[in-house]
Amino acid sequence: MAGKRDKKPNDTGFEDRKRVSRRDFVKKGAVAGLGGAALLEPSARAQAAPQGSGDVAWDYEVDVVIAGGGCAGLTAAIRARDLGATVLVVDQNFDVGGRMLHSGSFVSLGGGDPVQRRDMSGESDREGFITVDPVEDREELDDSVDLLFTDLTDWSVLDRKAQGPYRYNERELVRAWAENCPATRQFLTDNYVRFARVNGTHGGGGLSRARGARCFLMLGDRTDMKAGTITAEDAGVADPERTSAFAPVQMTNMSRFVAPGAVGNGVALARPLEFSAREKGVEFMLHRSFEELVREQPFSGRILGIRARYSPRFHPETGELMRSYWQNGNVEERRETVNIRARKAVILASGGHAGNPQVRSMFYPAMREPAFPTSGLALQGRQSQDASALIAGLRVGANLAGMQQNLSYSTTFHISTRLGTRDAYTTMMPGHPTFGFRGSAGVNVGNAGFEEFIAVNQVGQRFFNEVRLPLRPGLNAYPGDGGAPGQGLEHKPLDWRNCRKEWVQEMYGHDHGLDAALAMNEGSEPPDYYSGPLWAIFDQEAVERTGWELRYPYVADNGYFFQADTIEELADKIAADHEFQRVPLKYLAETVATWNGYVDAGADPEFEREVDAPMNHIAAPPFYALSIMVIWHDSYGGLRVNGRQQVVDMQGEVIPGLYAGGEAVGGFNKHGLGKGHVHGYIAGTRAAEEPSA
Amino acid sequence: MPKSGRKTRRPTPAAGVLGAWLLIAPAAAAGQADTTAGFERGQELYEAHCALCHQESGQGDPPTFPALNGNDRLEDSARIVRNIYRGAGTMPPFPDLEVEDIAALVQYVRGAWENDFPEVAAEEVAAALDGLDETGGRVSVWDGVFTQAQADRGQTAYTGACGICHGRRLNGAPDDPDMRSTPPLARAGFLREWDGRSLATLYEYMRATMPEDNPGSLTDPEYVDVIAYMLSVGGMPTGPDALPPDPPRLSRIAIEQRP
Repeated sequence: MAGKRDKKPNDTGFEDRKRVSRRDFVKKGAVAGLGGAALLEPSARAQAAPQGSGDVAWDYEVDVVIAGGGCAGLTAAIRARDLGATVLVVDQNFDVGGRMLHSGSFVSLGGGDPVQRRDMSGESDREGFITVDPVEDREELDDSVDLLFTDLTDWSVLDRKAQGPYRYNERELVRAWAENCPATRQFLTDNYVRFARVNGTHGGGGLSRARGARCFLMLGDRTDMKAGTITAEDAGVADPERTSAFAPVQMTNMSRFVAPGAVGNGVALARPLEFSAREKGVEFMLHRSFEELVREQPFSGRILGIRARYSPRFHPETGELMRSYWQNGNVEERRETVNIRARKAVILASGGHAGNPQVRSMFYPAMREPAFPTSGLALQGRQSQDASALIAGLRVGANLAGMQQNLSYSTTFHISTRLGTRDAYTTMMPGHPTFGFRGSAGVNVGNAGFEEFIAVNQVGQRFFNEVRLPLRPGLNAYPGDGGAPGQGLEHKPLDWRNCRKEWVQEMYGHDHGLDAALAMNEGSEPPDYYSGPLWAIFDQEAVERTGWELRYPYVADNGYFFQADTIEELADKIAADHEFQRVPLKYLAETVATWNGYVDAGADPEFEREVDAPMNHIAAPPFYALSIMVIWHDSYGGLRVNGRQQVVDMQGEVIPGLYAGGEAVGGFNKHGLGKGHVHGYIAGTRAAEEPSA
Repeated sequence: MPKSGRKTRRPTPAAGVLGAWLLIAPAAAAGQADTTAGFERGQELYEAHCALCHQESGQGDPPTFPALNGNDRLEDSARIVRNIYRGAGTMPPFPDLEVEDIAALVQYVRGAWENDFPEVAAEEVAAALDGLDETGGRVSVWDGVFTQAQADRGQTAYTGACGICHGRRLNGAPDDPDMRSTPPLARAGFLREWDGRSLATLYEYMRATMPEDNPGSLTDPEYVDVIAYMLSVGGMPTGPDALPPDPPRLSRIAIEQRP
């Protein structure tokens, strides 16, 4: 994955994919799920047959096979199981939850969903954990499916890049989504998920009403999903610099939206759902990467099943095969590839393409740069978000949708304010077994922190006004009050004045720092012309101004943080020890000297740093470098599906037996969990209703 | 996410803005030199002390922060003087301003934008100030103005109400990377933005606008406790007395760079 670089990755525990060639033939079938009922039917394995063949030798057989155990896959699994189907979830990672587990758990649904109605009434939750009053006004919560549908197909509303993301949404997909939002909220609540007070709306969820709520658990003396409690140790709140195997991201204080003692983030969403799935008898085959669909004929007939490859992840320190937090319902299987037959349907919920630089380059060639990963590198491994659903779908004739929608949402690709770690999107502290894959937590300096250093490219030259470098363009906004929840309701959907050029001129906010960061420079060589890594360069006085703690676990000797007594030595260290630094930072000393001259003169003629932003000398040793990462977080654009989440081919026909949801599908520019859970709910419902083949 | 147009960054008097004003305000431009100087001084003070809430445009952010442009209440100049000096409602007091400063501010807000109220003589301002209480001397945030116990209470309140957006390190970096950066609330970045204002301005601004989705939802003691926590993280020393939730007394405590 490292492209042209010829240096070996430094010794920070980053995984080497070649290890997956290790073959370990364990003759073992299904492990009994909870309650002792083996849902899977292992069959004798024959030699692998090509995809598209009608006589594949099946290793396993089950009603519904789901590729991916994240927000879409896990929801679909529980739903299909509830309806009586036997379900196997295949996931490339060692643990369940996908990116839902490291998310903020902000689930934006609406349409008059149960938590909107609860908050309108002012009531507490079913268990009485919530003691705070509703955060949003009643008017902000008074929602309907029609309003939600209108919001998400409003052609007139623009974001601060002057793009209108809602206008390109697939109507049928959005209508089905809106109609299923209330039922999905209820479904999640019925599976041990607790929602805090509604507070705003997550990106892409429409602007007319408040529709988003985060998930919580209550601190207690035991971790118990049924009771809704978690220990401080498991929640990662007992020690500010340590988390747990249960919570890869330390949970945050939710007292404002629940009650004192409430903590929340994706852990409070993913773990309860996983617990419920295992309790209900969903089975999991982990360390297994979905690779191919098996269809009756290459471009016609039913989807019969999937082929999946062993993708073991080994502990970065001990070298042992990593184990999921819970193991009931796990199917131990270490053969290189297995064929799994789906009697009813296959559901693709294996994520998007943000982790596949070759696929990303379809949208933005400069993002083929392998130095810049997707989010959750440590937690999810290097095979996360590898476009597996898109690639496998294309091989059986699927159509694609919404391929331009990557270019709208502001977290799709952006510059992270967390410096000094490769896994710069996701927060993580030691205590989770994958921490070693990143080596450092990083230093989150916020936008304001970018005033404290100069940012240089791989040859050591500045390339942008640092103050504006991390700024992300804002989200969709109506003229006037913006229509954002909590800020009034005065806007008129579907009105040409929402996108009139005068309003665009007023609200436009896109500085293109990211484009400059990805630009070619003197170190960019053909054929890819990679931009190379980016560095924040500063001195000891900056550390004293800011209070940045440049010590473990925030930074480490992992190639993403350097310290030296001279600028020349700093440049040498970066060039020697950073895995993606392909050329020397030959201009760094000159750049720093020039900058110090600008500080003396009180002006920055090259990049016009804001007049009221500070300019400080970089002169007091030791000198420091922290990596600045471009992150492609979530992706848009993917398989075309209809309102039943059935994958549609290039002739507009449904591919029988194939469903998809979440980031695997396109045509729906909604960020995050709200999309995936509802897709999973619909797909799980429809898949279970399919006749057994 | 802050609303567009609400700026917490200190405005910088820009020559271009002044020049533009002179072109479009013939009434003042035609006045005498000292009138123009007073107006310019007024604009400088306005941008430093008032624009945080009333906006450089004078449009405010109603209903929280009233518009001054086109506001008929500016007819009563004695009222403006009293409000500036003693505060009123959400508006903090500015007892440190000299008579000339207040006169310049009165002149500015009555003549700026589309406003066209007559000029007010400094003597009238002095007369309006007569009889208003002096409430004591001036100290700085570096003089030990809060207690450790108060800062500890403030940490609890901060973590629940503020930390989700302003970050656990008070540097404006939320833990959830989907959330946007916010202004820093401690250390050099905070001081740069707030240098020259009083704790009363900070206190009233927080009460009126924070938490952004539910302004005013903390108790008054909680708001000052959070300020105490912000100051403690910024390295300011503790003292024998807690900060009071009392704007006139807070208006005597200046936010300044480390002496």
